[in-house]
Amino acid sequence: MNNFKEFSYKPEDHECEGASNSYLMSLVAIIVGLPLPIVNLIASLIFYLSNRKSTYFIRWHCTQAFLAQFFTFFINSFGFWWTISVVFTEEPVTINFIAYLIAVAILNLIEFVFTIYTAIQTRKGIHVEWWFYGTLTNLICKP
Amino acid sequence: MKKLFFQGLTIVLFFLGTWFILAQIDWVKVFMIEEVTDKTEQELGSLFLEVFKQSETENRNPEVKALIDKMVSEICKANQIDKEKIKVHVFDKDEINAFALPDGHLVVYSDLIINSDNQEELAGVICHEIAHIQLNHVMKKLVKEIGLSVLISISTGGTGAEVTKQAAKTLSSSAFDRSLEKDADLAAVDYLVNAKVNPKPFADFLYKLSYNEDGIPSYLTWLETHPDSRERATYILEFSKGKSSDYKPIVSSQDWEKLKELLKEN
Repeated sequence: MNNFKEFSYKPEDHECEGASNSYLMSLVAIIVGLPLPIVNLIASLIFYLSNRKSTYFIRWHCTQAFLAQFFTFFINSFGFWWTISVVFTEEPVTINFIAYLIAVAILNLIEFVFTIYTAIQTRKGIHVEWWFYGTLTNLICKP
Repeated sequence: MKKLFFQGLTIVLFFLGTWFILAQIDWVKVFMIEEVTDKTEQELGSLFLEVFKQSETENRNPEVKALIDKMVSEICKANQIDKEKIKVHVFDKDEINAFALPDGHLVVYSDLIINSDNQEELAGVICHEIAHIQLNHVMKKLVKEIGLSVLISISTGGTGAEVTKQAAKTLSSSAFDRSLEKDADLAAVDYLVNAKVNPKPFADFLYKLSYNEDGIPSYLTWLETHPDSRERATYILEFSKGKSSDYKPIVSSQDWEKLKELLKEN
């Protein structure tokens, strides 16, 4: 679902590093904040806000990384609170619950793999636009 | 914008589709969740019953057992409840109490039977406890008050005897949530009506107990663990209105008096 596109200009090396870091940041956030989905979102938001004044290439990739985290946050949070209610309340373990957790795990795994891949590509200066998130970023992030 | 909407929709559909396809597999069976839960409940039931057997005396009189079994069997039969699931134990104890344990164990203290004015009152209390079993209130209460991890630990022998004792006492001497009590009361009325037992004496029993509510004598444990008796009696009567009136006793009056006499002898 990744899409290689020519960026409007050729980024400098420090820009490639900054853009790649935005994905690495979300990877670290996923690992650190795995049980609590809000941690991933806050970490990506802080990185996004701190790079608002950066060059277009960095801003663009920070936005894409943040948007990906933002949408995953809702899906993960729902799974997180469902699990909490199963463990601590009378909520039963159902087929739907287990299926949801597996679906969430698959989605997170796909995003994890794409994040690593994009971090490597952007470090090389290759611009990668994700399906949906890339299109949305193009609408939000202007040069 | 159209492209964005299409792409967003694709992602949502991909996720929902994955969830839907995965939900076609019976994961509960794959991970043997039900078997593990049933086994935990069985173990807990046996362990808790053992706690009461150690501190109290179980009445082994075959006539007492036969009469109580007859009442429980009739109630179960009329309500399509598997009688094998309900295991009744009568303990000789000067305490007006009855309670349900995991795995369908139903404990009735002799003083509850002796102090019941008629068999319908006892049948009401038994139906109330059967309702707790049928509606899975026992495990819900244990999970809420003790926690699943501790329960599993108890069932696998990972905790000491004192923890098991405390957990067992939770069921005999503390109340369920008000909503669970109401659910059990209303289900009990249905069970009674289906078994052609008049539910009014059950409400009377609660009214009778409620007069002692301000100064509860220590032996009236069932009242302590089932507060707001007056309110409960009122809604039981309200709920029973208009239900069948073709009532008949489960055991003969001679048998009922005999049962009380047998228990008084101990």
